[in-house]
Amino acid sequence: MIIKSKHMNRRTLLRGLGTAMSLPLLEAMLPSASAADLAARPKRLQALYSPNGMIMERFTPATVGRDFALTPTLEPFAAFKDRMTVVTGLAHLSGRGTHSQGCAGFLSAAEPRPTEGADLLCGVSIDQIVARKYENETLMPSLELGVETAAALGSCNPGYSCAYTNTLSWRDETSPLPVTINPREVFERMFGDGDVVEGAARLARQDRKASLLDFVREDAARLSGKLGSNDRQKMDQYLTAVRDVERRMQMANQSNVDEFAAGVDVPAGVPANFAEHVKLMFDLQVIAMQTDMTRVGSFMIGRELSNRTYQEIGVPDSHHMLTHHQADPEKFDRVAMINRLHMQHFAYLLEQLAATPDGEGSLLDSTLVLVGAGFGDPNSHDLRNLPAIVFGGKRSGGQHIRVAANTSKANLLLSLVHQFDIPMDSLADSTGIISELLPS
Amino acid sequence: MIYRTSSPWFACFTRRRFCGLSSVAIVTSSFLALPALAQNAPPPAADAIASHGQFLDQYCTECHNDDDVAGKLSLVGFNPDDVSAGHNLGTWEKILRKAGGGEMPPPNREQPPMESKLAFTQWLEGALDQHAATNPNPGRATLRRLNRAEYANAVRDLLAIEVDVSELLPTDDSGYGFDNIADVLSMSSTLMDRYIVVAGKISRLAVGRGISKPVVTTYLVPKDGSVLNQGIPSWDERASDDLPLDSRGGAVFDYYAPYDAVYEIGAYLNANTNNEVDRMPELRVSHRVQLTAGAHKIGVTFGRQLRLDESVQTLHNDVDYVWMPTEPPKDLPVLFVVDGLTVGRTTAPSYFMSARFSQANFPRDVLEIDVDGPYDISGPGNTPSRSKIFQCQPSAAAEEAVCASRIVKSLARQAWRRPVTDADIAPLMNLYTDAHANSGFEQGVEAAIEGLLVSPGFLFLREQDPAGSVPGSVHAVTDLEFASRLALFLWSSLPDDELLELAVADKLREPGTLEQQVDRMLADPRAAALTENFAGQWLYLRNLDLLRPDVYMFPNFNARLRRAMKQETELFFGSILRENRSVLTFIDADYTFLNQPLAEHYGIEGVQGPAFRRVQLDAASPRRGLLGQASILSVTSYANHTSVVKRGQWILANLLASSPPPPPPDVPALKSTVDGRILTPREQTELHSSNPACATCHVRMDPLGYALENFDVVGAWRTEHDDGGGRIDVSSSLPDGTKLDGVAGLRQVLLERKDAFTRAFAERMLTYALGRGVEPEDGPAVRTIVRRTAADDYRIRNVVLGIVESEPFNLKRTPEL
Repeated sequence: MIIKSKHMNRRTLLRGLGTAMSLPLLEAMLPSASAADLAARPKRLQALYSPNGMIMERFTPATVGRDFALTPTLEPFAAFKDRMTVVTGLAHLSGRGTHSQGCAGFLSAAEPRPTEGADLLCGVSIDQIVARKYENETLMPSLELGVETAAALGSCNPGYSCAYTNTLSWRDETSPLPVTINPREVFERMFGDGDVVEGAARLARQDRKASLLDFVREDAARLSGKLGSNDRQKMDQYLTAVRDVERRMQMANQSNVDEFAAGVDVPAGVPANFAEHVKLMFDLQVIAMQTDMTRVGSFMIGRELSNRTYQEIGVPDSHHMLTHHQADPEKFDRVAMINRLHMQHFAYLLEQLAATPDGEGSLLDSTLVLVGAGFGDPNSHDLRNLPAIVFGGKRSGGQHIRVAANTSKANLLLSLVHQFDIPMDSLADSTGIISELLPS
Repeated sequence: MIYRTSSPWFACFTRRRFCGLSSVAIVTSSFLALPALAQNAPPPAADAIASHGQFLDQYCTECHNDDDVAGKLSLVGFNPDDVSAGHNLGTWEKILRKAGGGEMPPPNREQPPMESKLAFTQWLEGALDQHAATNPNPGRATLRRLNRAEYANAVRDLLAIEVDVSELLPTDDSGYGFDNIADVLSMSSTLMDRYIVVAGKISRLAVGRGISKPVVTTYLVPKDGSVLNQGIPSWDERASDDLPLDSRGGAVFDYYAPYDAVYEIGAYLNANTNNEVDRMPELRVSHRVQLTAGAHKIGVTFGRQLRLDESVQTLHNDVDYVWMPTEPPKDLPVLFVVDGLTVGRTTAPSYFMSARFSQANFPRDVLEIDVDGPYDISGPGNTPSRSKIFQCQPSAAAEEAVCASRIVKSLARQAWRRPVTDADIAPLMNLYTDAHANSGFEQGVEAAIEGLLVSPGFLFLREQDPAGSVPGSVHAVTDLEFASRLALFLWSSLPDDELLELAVADKLREPGTLEQQVDRMLADPRAAALTENFAGQWLYLRNLDLLRPDVYMFPNFNARLRRAMKQETELFFGSILRENRSVLTFIDADYTFLNQPLAEHYGIEGVQGPAFRRVQLDAASPRRGLLGQASILSVTSYANHTSVVKRGQWILANLLASSPPPPPPDVPALKSTVDGRILTPREQTELHSSNPACATCHVRMDPLGYALENFDVVGAWRTEHDDGGGRIDVSSSLPDGTKLDGVAGLRQVLLERKDAFTRAFAERMLTYALGRGVEPEDGPAVRTIVRRTAADDYRIRNVVLGIVESEPFNLKRTPEL
């Protein structure tokens, strides 16, 4: 992408004003074109969550180690078996057996405080730990996506805020990040709002935004000369904010957005068809990763406690009610069908990531994907024997690891964090890492 | 966060422990010292100042000295001459407040004779006021950013556009109980990003260039959190004033149509709880309509037939499951409503069986409404925004620049709240020129508006010090700056043309004019901002939306009752302000505002229908004044039990401006039994409060809270504790021995403290008006307002005018560079 001389002029102008402005190295912003050096490549994290637990009898491979046979629930991932590491036996022993725990602990391993008020307390989730590492290098620190409207109190876990079951992502222990379900909103966050997002129209808009920022910065500079120290501090805040927006905009300018945006129509809103909705959200997530707008995503294919019905596969029952199957074989089968359908949708994302070139490899090569659910047995809200699958990462897949019974789920999360070269000694109630997941 | 060692509470605790334990010895010694003091004391009239010094020595420095430093305060070296010299004014104000309010000396210490105390406080008050009269102190003022409510109102008034942009902006932080505090309102890149996004969206909509591709806008109807699978018919009443008279249930929402075009109104139906959130195709209804560009109220509701057979089978209320109906389903009429008029109809069955395990659907209310469009656009339409913006239309290219400059100048004048020159708007005109070159005249104007909406001159309240003014010196703000302060106070928005013109002519603060303008502003619909933002925060009404009473204990609490609670207090506040009633009406009023759900909640008969109306209250009614309103009683309760402490603390903080310090970090939990005997809630609290560490503050809070114990978590009347804890005892006594019994007694106690309440109210409103915390140094300004109000039957406009004419509101100190 050509950087317009106008922008350069603006930087010169900034220096002339004596304003300190740090621009990142331009080279650093360009996607790597050199030989595939996985370790040096920007790493990405994608978490995929299936609500209301998993029927483990249909999930867990019969044997451990390599050469395991795919189970009915895992079958949709056949094409990616060599990258797949199935981890079973993990548990949230410290938590109470509630939907809030299963969901809020999925990426945090923390125990959500039982409250329906504003005094929420959980723990920072690993997607946000990774997002924080890259937040200054990308347009958006992370994307939290879903396909089901957030629930209001009354349809959530009694005694717990809905936040615990509406999202996986916690910016810090008191700040849940809302899940966006409307593709239109995701699209606007990525490209701004407008009828046309690519080509000349997009450039014109970027140009206009650049002159807008020029204008406000100059206006603010004029004003701050006349201010007392307290007020100048306020105006400095304003100028810093403007510069930060400018910096992010330059990053967006340097990415290859147009190439990909051209293929996507501005979404009108939420597609009526569930499968289309899921696919559209995944398409947007892939574009966001591909253009390096963000490197971190979390996705819920239903909010926890979801009562969605899956008529498209012959399951007319509400999902949550069904998971309390009480060993009724028909209900048991239907829950497993829903589990498998969710894995099929997740496989679509893997296909897209694999089909998208990134340097000399594909996006899937540089993306760590975690798939899982909140209960090992939804019927009894069992927080033991939790399902987890990891794709990608520094260790090749194709294996089933059974950890010692009741090993903390936090050990898995900590191992994933370590893959991003983030030094952390422990996470929630972790007791160590799963060494098989790390490079030998 | 509370740090044990530096907490004022802890300091107060230490004082009591040490001073308290040795109190016998101290009393004895001071008793022995008295004759000596009397011998040496000069005749009272001879040297009044010296006697005030002795008052301090005798009643204050016993604990407030360099060794004990009780309450982190030592008065050693304090000299009555300090006041006229302007030293330690803040501390002197605190002394006046504590001694005058009866808080000091504490009840267990030697008390001064009433006449000495009165002589001391009267002298101190007079001396402080006298010093202030000759040394005006406007206090601290920081560059103030518009908060999100103010930004939204300003955009609305500037562009004549009815779109609530506040939802697009992040919430602001609060300080001193309000979210418009200059020191706290910060700027971040996230906020800047949002400002840019909002400016883009709004400027496009305002000029009529919104997104032309169809977009779906969704509105989720707020429901209560009831756990009952009721399956009863939707509320047999009109859900909104914007729905037809013969409608029931459903909802209406604000939608801004970007173009004259065709739009599809759709909705998903459900039962009237939020337990059913499925959006199944069979639950969908929709209808296409032609809409003009601009703001509309779009609704979907059910028709209310007058025939008796319309009623559908009411089903068994149960937490676990719903009993199946035995009668066949009936057709319910569904109405599509635009701006109060029914524009389309369809029908929905009163129930249908689903193929799911043990589930049936009762589509008798509306889950969500959406609008999909625009389709078949016929033009940008003739919106109020376009009329306001395009005050000229160039007929030839040569006229464009002149017309654009006229438009931009007029908008910039209002947005920046001052007259503007060609040079001032030159940067905006550059934006116009750039965009015009690319796309055309209207896009150029749009770009200039976009710039205006993110410009610091709009976002910040710019107040310039006079040229050459000495740092630290005090000057009056200009009439224009005053107009901006006034508009933010009363409207949370921009000054209008009338205010600007008066300010430009320097006539706004002329006697008579100012009062007339304040009256005009309070009569304007924009004054609703004062209720929404000031009363909403002073009375915690905003917290009502977050209220989650235990659904099992209070199954009748629902969304419409929550709404009604808020509306009662808002109407009540508005009536006092509009009718210029006494501020004491807040304490005791012979009227309130009710609709049927709220009247039933209160057990008041004869109020029918969902509309609010003024209702007279008899002398014995517990609902007289704020303390009988369910809103206040609910926001000061927990989900499943009332809190004597929260309610008492709320009264002290908001009605008496005498907030106790925050609790210590290690509050012991309440004990529910002693020696195997189960304690009543009151006994539990009393046991806790008898702990000396807790008593200091609890003796002040608890009695006030006990008086309100006849009101439960959601403000309903009760005489027995909810959990079978027996009959409720609402009698108590204040630290000074005053006995009070129930809410009527509490009202009496507050009415006897007219000036304390008026001061509390004035301080809260002054905080809001100034956008900063009220400091002890503001004491003289507050007292001036209170005296003025008391002299005119406590009428509320005296407080508003008193603030507007006060020194802090009119003056500014040139900042130190």
